[in-house]
Amino acid sequence: MKLKDFLKDHIYVFIISIITYFLILLILLALKIKAEFIVVISIIFFVNVILIFMIDYFRKRNFYNDLLRNINALDKSYLVLETIKKPEFYEGKLTTKGMYEINKSFIEEVNDIKGQVQDFKEYIEMWIHEVKIPLSSLSLKYSHDKNIMSELKRLEDYVENVLYYVRAENAEKDYLIKETDLDKVIKNVGLKNMDDLLLNNIEFKYTKTGIKILTDAKWLEFILNQIINNSIKYKRDIKNAYILIKTIETEDKITLTIKDNGMGIKKADLKSVFDKSFTGTNGHLKAKSTGMGLYIAKNLCDKLGHKITIKSKENEYTIVSISFGKNNFYQVLN
Amino acid sequence: MAKILVIEDDKAICEALINLLKNNNYEALTLDVYNDAIAEILKINPDLVLLDINLPALNGKQILKVLREKTNIPVIMVTSLNNETDEALSISYGADDYITKPYNPNILLLRIGAVLKRINRENNVLTYKDLIVNIQKGIITRNNHEIVLTKNEMIIFYYLLVHQNRIVTRDELMTDLWDNNEFINDNALTVNISRLRTKLKELGYKNIIETRKGQGYILS
Repeated sequence: MKLKDFLKDHIYVFIISIITYFLILLILLALKIKAEFIVVISIIFFVNVILIFMIDYFRKRNFYNDLLRNINALDKSYLVLETIKKPEFYEGKLTTKGMYEINKSFIEEVNDIKGQVQDFKEYIEMWIHEVKIPLSSLSLKYSHDKNIMSELKRLEDYVENVLYYVRAENAEKDYLIKETDLDKVIKNVGLKNMDDLLLNNIEFKYTKTGIKILTDAKWLEFILNQIINNSIKYKRDIKNAYILIKTIETEDKITLTIKDNGMGIKKADLKSVFDKSFTGTNGHLKAKSTGMGLYIAKNLCDKLGHKITIKSKENEYTIVSISFGKNNFYQVLN
Repeated sequence: MAKILVIEDDKAICEALINLLKNNNYEALTLDVYNDAIAEILKINPDLVLLDINLPALNGKQILKVLREKTNIPVIMVTSLNNETDEALSISYGADDYITKPYNPNILLLRIGAVLKRINRENNVLTYKDLIVNIQKGIITRNNHEIVLTKNEMIIFYYLLVHQNRIVTRDELMTDLWDNNEFINDNALTVNISRLRTKLKELGYKNIIETRKGQGYILS
Protein backbone atom coordinates (compact mmCIF):
# COMPACT_ATOMS: atom_id res chain seq x y z
CA MET A 1 0.00 0.00 0.00
CA LYS A 2 1.50 3.28 -1.12
CA LEU A 3 0.98 6.50 0.82
CA LYS A 4 0.58 8.51 -2.37
CA ASP A 5 -2.19 6.29 -3.70
CA PHE A 6 -3.82 6.15 -0.28
CA LEU A 7 -3.96 9.95 -0.12
CA LYS A 8 -5.24 10.16 -3.68
CA ASP A 9 -8.01 7.78 -2.75
CA HIS A 10 -8.99 10.00 0.18
CA ILE A 11 -8.88 13.29 -1.73
CA TYR A 12 -12.53 13.97 -0.83
CA VAL A 13 -11.61 14.11 2.88
CA PHE A 14 -9.07 16.82 2.05
CA ILE A 15 -11.52 18.80 0.00
CA ILE A 16 -14.22 18.61 2.68
CA SER A 17 -11.66 19.51 5.37
CA ILE A 18 -10.44 22.54 3.45
CA ILE A 19 -13.98 23.73 2.75
CA THR A 20 -14.88 23.22 6.42
CA TYR A 21 -11.71 25.04 7.41
CA PHE A 22 -12.60 28.05 5.26
CA LEU A 23 -16.14 28.11 6.65
CA ILE A 24 -14.78 28.03 10.21
CA LEU A 25 -12.26 30.71 9.24
CA LEU A 26 -15.05 32.94 7.90
CA ILE A 27 -17.05 32.47 11.11
CA LEU A 28 -14.00 33.22 13.26
CA LEU A 29 -13.23 36.38 11.22
CA ALA A 30 -16.88 37.47 11.43
CA LEU A 31 -16.75 37.10 15.21
CA LYS A 32 -13.57 39.24 15.17
CA ILE A 33 -11.57 36.73 17.14
CA LYS A 34 -7.94 37.59 17.70
CA ALA A 35 -5.40 36.39 15.13
CA GLU A 36 -3.45 34.36 17.74
CA PHE A 37 -6.52 32.28 18.50
CA ILE A 38 -7.24 31.75 14.84
CA VAL A 39 -3.70 30.40 14.34
CA VAL A 40 -4.06 28.04 17.33
CA ILE A 41 -7.46 26.79 16.13
CA SER A 42 -6.06 26.27 12.58
CA ILE A 43 -3.12 24.23 13.92
CA ILE A 44 -5.45 22.08 16.06
CA PHE A 45 -7.69 21.55 13.06
CA PHE A 46 -4.90 20.48 10.70
CA VAL A 47 -3.09 18.32 13.26
CA ASN A 48 -6.45 16.60 13.78
CA VAL A 49 -6.91 15.92 10.06
CA ILE A 50 -3.33 14.66 9.62
CA LEU A 51 -3.57 12.43 12.71
CA ILE A 52 -6.78 10.81 11.49
CA PHE A 53 -5.08 10.12 8.15
CA MET A 54 -1.89 8.74 9.64
CA ILE A 55 -3.65 6.41 12.07
CA ASP A 56 -5.97 5.14 9.36
CA TYR A 57 -3.04 4.61 6.96
CA PHE A 58 -0.84 2.69 9.38
CA ARG A 59 -3.63 0.45 10.61
CA LYS A 60 -4.40 -0.63 7.08
CA ARG A 61 -0.88 -0.61 5.68
CA ASN A 62 0.40 -3.64 7.60
CA PHE A 63 -2.58 -5.78 6.71
CA TYR A 64 -2.65 -5.02 3.00
CA ASN A 65 1.12 -5.17 2.57
CA ASP A 66 1.27 -8.61 4.21
CA LEU A 67 -1.62 -9.77 2.08
CA LEU A 68 -0.09 -8.66 -1.21
CA ARG A 69 3.41 -9.86 -0.37
CA ASN A 70 2.22 -13.31 0.68
CA ILE A 71 0.00 -13.73 -2.36
CA ASN A 72 3.04 -13.20 -4.55
CA ALA A 73 5.31 -15.37 -2.46
CA LEU A 74 3.02 -18.40 -2.17
CA ASP A 75 2.84 -20.91 -4.99
CA LYS A 76 -0.68 -21.76 -3.91
CA SER A 77 -1.96 -18.24 -3.32
CA TYR A 78 -5.38 -19.41 -2.19
CA LEU A 79 -3.78 -20.37 1.12
CA VAL A 80 -2.85 -16.74 1.85
CA LEU A 81 -5.49 -16.22 4.52
CA GLU A 82 -3.73 -18.75 6.73
CA THR A 83 -0.49 -16.80 6.58
CA ILE A 84 -1.54 -13.31 7.64
CA LYS A 85 -2.52 -11.77 10.97
CA LYS A 86 -6.21 -11.08 11.51
CA PRO A 87 -6.83 -7.35 10.93
CA GLU A 88 -8.04 -5.11 13.74
CA PHE A 89 -10.03 -2.68 11.62
CA TYR A 90 -13.58 -3.11 10.39
CA GLU A 91 -12.99 -3.07 6.61
CA GLY A 92 -10.20 -5.61 6.98
CA LYS A 93 -12.44 -7.88 9.00
CA LEU A 94 -15.12 -7.65 6.33
CA THR A 95 -12.59 -8.35 3.59
CA THR A 96 -11.13 -11.40 5.28
CA LYS A 97 -14.55 -12.73 6.12
CA GLY A 98 -15.58 -12.42 2.49
CA MET A 99 -12.38 -14.05 1.33
CA TYR A 100 -12.87 -16.94 3.74
CA GLU A 101 -16.32 -17.58 2.40
CA ILE A 102 -15.17 -17.45 -1.22
CA ASN A 103 -12.29 -19.76 -0.41
CA LYS A 104 -14.52 -22.23 1.33
CA SER A 105 -17.01 -22.53 -1.48
CA PHE A 106 -14.19 -22.73 -4.01
CA ILE A 107 -12.50 -25.55 -2.13
CA GLU A 108 -15.80 -27.40 -1.86
CA GLU A 109 -16.25 -27.05 -5.59
CA VAL A 110 -12.73 -28.30 -6.30
CA ASN A 111 -13.16 -31.27 -3.96
CA ASP A 112 -16.38 -32.11 -5.65
CA ILE A 113 -14.70 -32.19 -9.04
CA LYS A 114 -11.71 -34.08 -7.64
CA GLY A 115 -14.10 -36.68 -6.33
CA GLN A 116 -15.79 -36.93 -9.68
CA VAL A 117 -12.46 -37.37 -11.47
CA GLN A 118 -11.41 -40.03 -8.97
CA ASP A 119 -14.69 -41.87 -9.37
CA PHE A 120 -14.32 -41.73 -13.10
CA LYS A 121 -10.76 -43.08 -12.95
CA GLU A 122 -11.81 -45.92 -10.71
CA TYR A 123 -14.69 -46.69 -13.01
CA ILE A 124 -12.35 -46.75 -16.02
CA GLU A 125 -9.91 -49.09 -14.27
CA MET A 126 -12.74 -51.40 -13.30
CA TRP A 127 -14.19 -51.23 -16.77
CA ILE A 128 -10.83 -52.16 -18.28
CA HIS A 129 -10.59 -55.23 -16.10
CA GLU A 130 -14.07 -56.18 -17.12
CA VAL A 131 -13.57 -55.63 -20.82
CA LYS A 132 -10.56 -57.92 -20.67
CA ILE A 133 -12.79 -60.87 -19.82
CA PRO A 134 -14.65 -60.98 -23.15
CA LEU A 135 -11.35 -60.12 -24.88
CA SER A 136 -9.79 -63.16 -23.23
CA SER A 137 -12.51 -65.52 -24.19
CA LEU A 138 -12.41 -64.23 -27.77
CA SER A 139 -8.68 -64.73 -28.04
CA LEU A 140 -8.99 -68.23 -26.63
CA LYS A 141 -11.77 -69.10 -29.04
CA TYR A 142 -10.22 -67.66 -32.18
CA SER A 143 -6.56 -68.40 -31.49
CA HIS A 144 -6.30 -70.13 -34.86
CA ASP A 145 -7.52 -67.09 -36.83
CA LYS A 146 -4.67 -64.68 -37.51
CA ASN A 147 -6.92 -61.86 -38.69
CA ILE A 148 -9.14 -61.90 -35.65
CA MET A 149 -6.12 -62.23 -33.38
CA SER A 150 -4.43 -59.22 -34.93
CA GLU A 151 -7.58 -57.10 -34.50
CA LEU A 152 -7.89 -58.35 -30.94
CA LYS A 153 -4.33 -57.33 -30.28
CA ARG A 154 -5.05 -53.83 -31.54
CA LEU A 155 -8.08 -53.64 -29.31
CA GLU A 156 -6.02 -54.85 -26.39
CA ASP A 157 -3.33 -52.25 -27.07
CA TYR A 158 -5.89 -49.44 -27.11
CA VAL A 159 -7.37 -50.66 -23.86
CA GLU A 160 -3.91 -50.83 -22.28
CA ASN A 161 -3.25 -47.27 -23.43
CA VAL A 162 -6.24 -46.03 -21.49
CA LEU A 163 -5.28 -48.05 -18.44
CA TYR A 164 -1.75 -46.65 -18.32
CA TYR A 165 -2.96 -43.14 -19.07
CA VAL A 166 -5.13 -43.33 -15.97
CA ARG A 167 -2.30 -44.88 -13.98
CA ALA A 168 0.25 -42.29 -15.04
CA GLU A 169 -2.04 -39.56 -13.75
CA ASN A 170 -2.34 -41.00 -10.27
CA ALA A 171 0.80 -42.98 -9.87
CA GLU A 172 0.81 -42.98 -6.09
CA LYS A 173 -0.54 -46.48 -6.04
CA ASP A 174 -0.13 -49.26 -8.51
CA TYR A 175 3.56 -49.44 -9.10
CA LEU A 176 6.33 -51.40 -7.55
CA ILE A 177 9.96 -50.79 -8.24
CA LYS A 178 12.13 -53.83 -7.83
CA GLU A 179 15.09 -55.52 -9.41
CA THR A 180 13.91 -56.62 -12.82
CA ASP A 181 15.43 -58.87 -15.44
CA LEU A 182 15.69 -56.70 -18.54
CA ASP A 183 16.00 -59.74 -20.82
CA LYS A 184 12.64 -60.98 -19.62
CA VAL A 185 10.91 -57.64 -20.19
CA ILE A 186 12.29 -57.39 -23.72
CA LYS A 187 11.40 -61.00 -24.45
CA ASN A 188 7.82 -60.38 -23.35
CA VAL A 189 7.55 -57.32 -25.58
CA GLY A 190 9.03 -59.32 -28.46
CA LEU A 191 6.57 -62.17 -27.94
CA LYS A 192 3.68 -59.76 -27.72
CA ASN A 193 4.58 -58.26 -31.10
CA MET A 194 5.89 -61.42 -32.73
CA ASP A 195 3.05 -61.80 -35.22
CA ASP A 196 3.23 -58.19 -36.38
CA LEU A 197 7.02 -58.28 -36.64
CA LEU A 198 6.99 -61.47 -38.70
CA LEU A 199 4.13 -60.27 -40.86
CA ASN A 200 5.95 -57.02 -41.62
CA ASN A 201 9.30 -58.74 -42.16
CA ILE A 202 10.99 -56.74 -39.46
CA GLU A 203 13.97 -58.37 -37.87
CA PHE A 204 13.97 -58.15 -34.08
CA LYS A 205 17.57 -58.03 -32.91
CA TYR A 206 18.44 -58.45 -29.28
CA THR A 207 21.01 -60.54 -27.49
CA LYS A 208 20.60 -61.56 -23.87
CA THR A 209 22.70 -59.54 -21.45
CA GLY A 210 21.62 -60.69 -18.01
CA ILE A 211 21.44 -57.06 -16.88
CA LYS A 212 19.14 -56.27 -13.99
CA ILE A 213 17.55 -52.86 -13.51
CA LEU A 214 15.36 -51.18 -10.93
CA THR A 215 11.93 -50.54 -12.38
CA ASP A 216 8.33 -51.66 -12.46
CA ALA A 217 8.35 -54.50 -14.98
CA LYS A 218 4.75 -54.01 -16.11
CA TRP A 219 5.18 -50.32 -16.72
CA LEU A 220 8.45 -50.79 -18.57
CA GLU A 221 6.84 -53.46 -20.71
CA PHE A 222 4.11 -51.00 -21.63
CA ILE A 223 6.65 -48.27 -22.44
CA LEU A 224 8.73 -50.56 -24.65
CA ASN A 225 5.59 -51.88 -26.29
CA GLN A 226 4.68 -48.31 -27.31
CA ILE A 227 8.10 -47.79 -28.84
CA ILE A 228 8.08 -51.11 -30.72
CA ASN A 229 4.52 -50.44 -31.89
CA ASN A 230 5.67 -47.15 -33.35
CA SER A 231 8.62 -48.81 -35.06
CA ILE A 232 6.27 -51.31 -36.67
CA LYS A 233 3.70 -48.69 -37.61
CA TYR A 234 6.23 -46.34 -39.16
CA LYS A 235 8.45 -48.85 -40.93
CA ARG A 236 9.74 -48.34 -44.43
CA ASP A 237 9.18 -50.88 -47.15
CA ILE A 238 12.78 -51.90 -47.43
CA LYS A 239 14.43 -55.28 -47.54
CA ASN A 240 16.33 -55.33 -44.28
CA ALA A 241 13.92 -53.59 -41.91
CA TYR A 242 15.03 -54.13 -38.34
CA ILE A 243 14.59 -53.15 -34.72
CA LEU A 244 17.84 -53.29 -32.83
CA ILE A 245 17.79 -53.24 -29.04
CA LYS A 246 20.99 -52.70 -27.12
CA THR A 247 21.98 -52.05 -23.54
CA ILE A 248 24.96 -49.99 -22.53
CA GLU A 249 26.13 -50.15 -18.96
CA THR A 250 28.26 -47.35 -17.56
CA GLU A 251 29.39 -46.60 -14.04
CA ASP A 252 26.29 -44.72 -12.92
CA LYS A 253 23.56 -45.82 -15.29
CA ILE A 254 22.24 -48.36 -17.75
CA THR A 255 20.97 -47.12 -21.08
CA LEU A 256 18.62 -49.08 -23.26
CA THR A 257 18.46 -48.03 -26.90
CA ILE A 258 15.86 -49.11 -29.41
CA LYS A 259 16.87 -48.33 -32.96
CA ASP A 260 14.86 -48.90 -36.09
CA ASN A 261 15.52 -48.08 -39.72
CA GLY A 262 12.00 -46.88 -40.42
CA MET A 263 10.55 -43.64 -41.70
CA GLY A 264 12.17 -41.53 -39.02
CA ILE A 265 10.78 -38.26 -37.71
CA LYS A 266 10.95 -34.82 -39.32
CA LYS A 267 13.30 -32.47 -37.51
CA ALA A 268 10.49 -30.00 -36.90
CA ASP A 269 8.36 -32.72 -35.28
CA LEU A 270 11.09 -34.18 -33.13
CA LYS A 271 10.77 -31.85 -30.16
CA SER A 272 7.02 -32.42 -29.89
CA VAL A 273 6.82 -36.21 -30.07
CA PHE A 274 6.29 -36.54 -26.33
CA ASP A 275 3.51 -33.92 -26.28
CA LYS A 276 -0.05 -34.88 -25.58
CA SER A 277 -2.10 -35.59 -28.71
CA PHE A 278 0.79 -34.73 -31.02
CA THR A 279 0.54 -36.75 -34.22
CA GLY A 280 3.06 -35.04 -36.51
CA THR A 281 3.58 -35.64 -40.20
CA ASN A 282 3.94 -39.41 -39.85
CA GLY A 283 0.81 -39.68 -37.74
CA HIS A 284 -1.24 -37.89 -40.38
CA LEU A 285 0.27 -40.05 -43.07
CA LYS A 286 -0.84 -43.23 -41.34
CA ALA A 287 -4.12 -41.82 -40.08
CA LYS A 288 -4.12 -44.29 -37.20
CA SER A 289 -2.29 -42.29 -34.62
CA THR A 290 -3.84 -40.99 -31.40
CA GLY A 291 -0.72 -39.13 -30.33
CA MET A 292 -1.05 -40.57 -26.84
CA GLY A 293 1.42 -43.48 -26.86
CA LEU A 294 4.68 -41.61 -26.41
CA TYR A 295 3.05 -39.02 -24.16
CA ILE A 296 2.00 -41.74 -21.73
CA ALA A 297 5.36 -43.49 -22.09
CA LYS A 298 7.17 -40.27 -21.18
CA ASN A 299 4.84 -39.67 -18.26
CA LEU A 300 5.47 -43.15 -16.90
CA CYS A 301 9.22 -42.75 -17.37
CA ASP A 302 9.12 -39.49 -15.41
CA LYS A 303 7.22 -41.17 -12.59
CA LEU A 304 9.67 -44.08 -12.48
CA GLY A 305 12.65 -41.73 -12.67
CA HIS A 306 13.89 -42.99 -16.04
CA LYS A 307 15.05 -40.60 -18.70
CA ILE A 308 13.63 -41.08 -22.17
CA THR A 309 15.04 -39.32 -25.23
CA ILE A 310 14.56 -39.64 -28.94
CA LYS A 311 16.83 -39.05 -31.91
CA SER A 312 15.96 -39.44 -35.54
CA LYS A 313 16.83 -38.74 -39.13
CA GLU A 314 14.07 -38.73 -41.66
CA ASN A 315 14.06 -41.79 -43.93
CA GLU A 316 16.98 -43.28 -42.05
CA TYR A 317 16.51 -44.16 -38.43
CA THR A 318 14.86 -43.49 -35.08
CA ILE A 319 16.64 -44.16 -31.82
CA VAL A 320 14.80 -44.09 -28.51
CA SER A 321 16.98 -44.25 -25.41
CA ILE A 322 15.85 -44.91 -21.88
CA SER A 323 18.34 -44.59 -19.06
CA PHE A 324 17.96 -46.23 -15.70
CA GLY A 325 19.85 -44.99 -12.69
CA LYS A 326 21.89 -47.44 -10.68
CA ASN A 327 21.04 -47.49 -7.04
CA ASN A 328 24.09 -48.37 -5.02
CA PHE A 329 22.15 -48.30 -1.77
CA TYR A 330 19.88 -51.03 -3.06
CA GLN A 331 22.84 -53.15 -4.12
CA VAL A 332 24.47 -52.82 -0.72
CA LEU A 333 21.27 -54.01 0.94
CA ASN A 334 21.29 -57.10 -1.21
CA MET B 1 -1.39 -86.82 -19.76
CA ALA B 2 -1.12 -83.98 -17.31
CA LYS B 3 -4.27 -83.05 -15.40
CA ILE B 4 -4.99 -79.33 -15.25
CA LEU B 5 -7.60 -77.75 -13.01
CA VAL B 6 -9.06 -74.46 -14.21
CA ILE B 7 -10.52 -72.24 -11.50
CA GLU B 8 -12.19 -69.32 -13.25
CA ASP B 9 -15.58 -67.76 -12.60
CA ASP B 10 -16.34 -66.53 -16.10
CA LYS B 11 -18.12 -69.41 -17.83
CA ALA B 12 -17.15 -68.46 -21.38
CA ILE B 13 -13.46 -68.17 -20.56
CA CYS B 14 -13.52 -71.33 -18.53
CA GLU B 15 -15.07 -73.28 -21.38
CA ALA B 16 -12.67 -71.82 -23.93
CA LEU B 17 -9.70 -72.62 -21.69
CA ILE B 18 -10.79 -76.20 -21.20
CA ASN B 19 -11.26 -76.63 -24.95
CA LEU B 20 -7.86 -75.19 -25.65
CA LEU B 21 -6.21 -77.44 -23.10
CA LYS B 22 -8.04 -80.54 -24.31
CA ASN B 23 -7.01 -79.79 -27.89
CA ASN B 24 -3.44 -79.71 -26.67
CA ASN B 25 -3.48 -83.10 -25.05
CA TYR B 26 -4.12 -82.10 -21.49
CA GLU B 27 -6.82 -83.43 -19.26
CA ALA B 28 -8.71 -80.32 -18.22
CA LEU B 29 -11.43 -79.86 -15.63
CA THR B 30 -12.97 -77.15 -13.50
CA LEU B 31 -14.72 -76.61 -10.18
CA ASP B 32 -18.48 -76.07 -10.18
CA VAL B 33 -18.67 -74.55 -6.73
CA TYR B 34 -16.12 -72.63 -4.74
CA ASN B 35 -17.56 -73.28 -1.31
CA ASP B 36 -14.87 -75.66 -0.36
CA ALA B 37 -12.32 -74.98 -3.06
CA ILE B 38 -9.30 -76.23 -1.14
CA ALA B 39 -10.79 -79.61 -0.30
CA GLU B 40 -11.97 -79.99 -3.90
CA ILE B 41 -8.55 -79.20 -5.27
CA LEU B 42 -6.91 -81.68 -2.94
CA LYS B 43 -9.45 -84.33 -3.88
CA ILE B 44 -8.88 -83.84 -7.61
CA ASN B 45 -5.14 -83.70 -7.07
CA PRO B 46 -4.24 -82.05 -10.40
CA ASP B 47 -0.76 -81.68 -11.86
CA LEU B 48 -1.29 -77.97 -12.23
CA VAL B 49 -3.85 -75.34 -11.22
CA LEU B 50 -4.80 -72.29 -13.28
CA LEU B 51 -6.19 -69.96 -10.64
CA ASP B 52 -8.06 -66.72 -11.25
CA ILE B 53 -7.31 -63.97 -8.71
CA ASN B 54 -10.83 -62.56 -8.67
CA LEU B 55 -13.30 -65.20 -7.66
CA PRO B 56 -16.74 -64.77 -6.14
CA ALA B 57 -16.81 -65.46 -2.43
CA LEU B 58 -13.12 -66.23 -2.22
CA ASN B 59 -10.00 -64.39 -3.18
CA GLY B 60 -7.63 -66.31 -5.45
CA LYS B 61 -4.64 -65.18 -3.41
CA GLN B 62 -6.33 -66.54 -0.30
CA ILE B 63 -6.86 -69.93 -1.92
CA LEU B 64 -3.24 -69.95 -3.03
CA LYS B 65 -2.03 -69.14 0.47
CA VAL B 66 -4.05 -71.89 2.12
CA LEU B 67 -3.24 -74.33 -0.67
CA ARG B 68 0.48 -73.75 -0.24
CA GLU B 69 0.26 -74.70 3.42
CA LYS B 70 -0.95 -78.12 2.38
CA THR B 71 0.57 -79.03 -0.94
CA ASN B 72 3.11 -78.17 -3.60
CA ILE B 73 0.84 -78.49 -6.63
CA PRO B 74 2.12 -76.00 -9.21
CA VAL B 75 -0.15 -72.97 -9.53
CA ILE B 76 -0.31 -70.39 -12.31
CA MET B 77 -2.22 -67.26 -11.33
CA VAL B 78 -4.31 -65.63 -14.02
CA THR B 79 -5.71 -62.15 -13.66
CA SER B 80 -7.00 -59.11 -15.45
CA LEU B 81 -5.24 -56.90 -12.92
CA ASN B 82 -2.11 -56.00 -14.78
CA ASN B 83 0.08 -54.79 -11.98
CA GLU B 84 3.38 -55.59 -10.44
CA THR B 85 2.20 -55.56 -6.83
CA ASP B 86 -0.27 -58.36 -7.41
CA GLU B 87 2.32 -60.34 -9.28
CA ALA B 88 4.94 -59.94 -6.57
CA LEU B 89 2.36 -60.85 -3.93
CA SER B 90 1.23 -63.95 -5.83
CA ILE B 91 4.79 -65.10 -6.33
CA SER B 92 5.55 -64.54 -2.65
CA TYR B 93 2.52 -66.64 -1.74
CA GLY B 94 4.05 -69.40 -3.79
CA ALA B 95 2.59 -69.14 -7.29
CA ASP B 96 4.77 -70.67 -9.99
CA ASP B 97 3.84 -68.16 -12.65
CA TYR B 98 1.52 -65.23 -13.28
CA ILE B 99 -0.36 -64.54 -16.52
CA THR B 100 -2.37 -61.47 -17.42
CA LYS B 101 -5.61 -61.44 -19.37
CA PRO B 102 -6.33 -61.31 -22.22
CA TYR B 103 -4.50 -64.53 -22.87
CA ASN B 104 -2.35 -65.19 -25.82
CA PRO B 105 -3.15 -68.91 -26.15
CA ASN B 106 0.32 -69.85 -27.41
CA ILE B 107 2.01 -68.10 -24.54
CA LEU B 108 -0.41 -69.64 -22.05
CA LEU B 109 0.40 -73.12 -23.35
CA LEU B 110 4.09 -72.33 -23.24
CA ARG B 111 3.93 -71.23 -19.62
CA ILE B 112 1.97 -74.32 -18.65
CA GLY B 113 4.52 -76.46 -20.47
CA ALA B 114 7.38 -74.61 -18.77
CA VAL B 115 5.94 -75.04 -15.28
CA LEU B 116 5.27 -78.73 -15.83
CA LYS B 117 8.75 -79.14 -17.29
CA ARG B 118 10.29 -77.47 -14.26
CA ILE B 119 8.59 -80.03 -12.08
CA ASN B 120 9.98 -82.93 -14.12
CA ARG B 121 13.37 -81.34 -14.32
CA GLU B 122 15.25 -84.50 -13.50
CA ASN B 123 15.14 -85.82 -17.06
CA ASN B 124 17.69 -83.68 -18.78
CA VAL B 125 18.20 -86.57 -21.16
CA LEU B 126 15.29 -87.74 -23.29
CA THR B 127 15.05 -90.60 -25.70
CA TYR B 128 13.44 -90.98 -29.09
CA LYS B 129 13.39 -94.54 -30.40
CA ASP B 130 17.07 -95.48 -30.02
CA LEU B 131 18.28 -91.88 -30.02
CA ILE B 132 19.56 -90.32 -26.81
CA VAL B 133 18.85 -86.62 -26.66
CA ASN B 134 20.93 -84.54 -24.28
CA ILE B 135 19.10 -81.23 -24.10
CA GLN B 136 21.63 -79.37 -21.99
CA LYS B 137 24.57 -80.24 -24.24
CA GLY B 138 22.58 -80.11 -27.47
CA ILE B 139 23.76 -83.52 -28.54
CA ILE B 140 21.90 -86.48 -30.09
CA THR B 141 23.58 -89.87 -29.97
CA ARG B 142 22.86 -93.16 -31.68
CA ASN B 143 25.22 -96.09 -31.12
CA ASN B 144 28.28 -93.94 -30.47
CA HIS B 145 27.46 -91.77 -33.46
CA GLU B 146 27.04 -88.23 -32.23
CA ILE B 147 25.66 -85.09 -33.82
CA VAL B 148 25.60 -81.59 -32.38
CA LEU B 149 22.50 -79.41 -32.74
CA THR B 150 22.54 -75.64 -32.62
CA LYS B 151 20.47 -73.97 -29.90
CA ASN B 152 17.60 -73.26 -32.29
CA GLU B 153 17.58 -76.76 -33.69
CA MET B 154 17.51 -78.20 -30.19
CA ILE B 155 14.61 -75.95 -29.16
CA ILE B 156 12.64 -77.11 -32.20
CA PHE B 157 13.50 -80.79 -31.79
CA TYR B 158 12.74 -80.70 -28.08
CA TYR B 159 9.35 -79.11 -28.69
CA LEU B 160 8.47 -81.68 -31.36
CA LEU B 161 9.65 -84.47 -29.11
CA VAL B 162 7.60 -83.37 -26.12
CA HIS B 163 4.55 -83.06 -28.36
CA GLN B 164 5.26 -86.24 -30.26
CA ASN B 165 2.50 -87.61 -32.49
CA ARG B 166 0.64 -84.33 -32.56
CA ILE B 167 0.71 -81.62 -35.20
CA VAL B 168 2.78 -78.71 -34.02
CA THR B 169 2.08 -75.42 -35.79
CA ARG B 170 4.81 -73.10 -37.00
CA ASP B 171 3.29 -70.53 -34.71
CA GLU B 172 3.89 -72.68 -31.65
CA LEU B 173 7.49 -73.34 -32.66
CA MET B 174 8.02 -69.65 -33.32
CA THR B 175 6.55 -68.69 -29.95
CA ASP B 176 8.76 -71.20 -28.20
CA LEU B 177 11.86 -69.90 -29.98
CA TRP B 178 11.05 -66.28 -29.16
CA ASP B 179 10.32 -67.27 -25.60
CA ASN B 180 13.88 -68.59 -25.49
CA ASN B 181 15.21 -65.24 -26.70
CA GLU B 182 15.80 -66.49 -30.24
CA PHE B 183 14.03 -63.82 -32.26
CA ILE B 184 14.23 -65.50 -35.67
CA ASN B 185 12.04 -64.96 -38.74
CA ASP B 186 9.99 -67.30 -40.91
CA ASN B 187 12.81 -68.09 -43.32
CA ALA B 188 15.20 -68.91 -40.52
CA LEU B 189 12.66 -71.31 -39.05
CA THR B 190 12.34 -73.11 -42.38
CA VAL B 191 16.13 -73.28 -42.70
CA ASN B 192 16.48 -74.59 -39.14
CA ILE B 193 13.95 -77.31 -39.72
CA SER B 194 15.56 -78.47 -42.93
CA ARG B 195 18.99 -78.51 -41.22
CA LEU B 196 17.50 -80.50 -38.38
CA ARG B 197 16.09 -82.98 -40.90
CA THR B 198 19.48 -83.33 -42.59
CA LYS B 199 21.17 -84.00 -39.25
CA LEU B 200 18.58 -86.59 -38.30
CA LYS B 201 19.06 -88.22 -41.67
CA GLU B 202 22.75 -88.55 -40.89
CA LEU B 203 21.71 -90.65 -37.91
CA GLY B 204 19.59 -92.82 -40.14
CA TYR B 205 16.23 -91.29 -39.40
CA LYS B 206 14.81 -90.04 -42.64
CA ASN B 207 11.52 -88.18 -42.81
CA ILE B 208 10.65 -88.51 -39.16
CA ILE B 209 9.58 -84.88 -39.16
CA GLU B 210 6.68 -84.72 -41.56
CA THR B 211 5.23 -81.53 -42.99
CA ARG B 212 1.46 -81.29 -42.86
CA LYS B 213 0.58 -78.70 -45.41
CA GLY B 214 -1.10 -75.64 -43.99
CA GLN B 215 -0.98 -77.07 -40.48
CA GLY B 216 2.54 -77.62 -39.30
CA TYR B 217 4.91 -80.43 -38.46
CA ILE B 218 4.62 -83.73 -36.74
CA LEU B 219 7.25 -85.98 -35.24
CA SER B 220 6.09 -89.54 -35.70
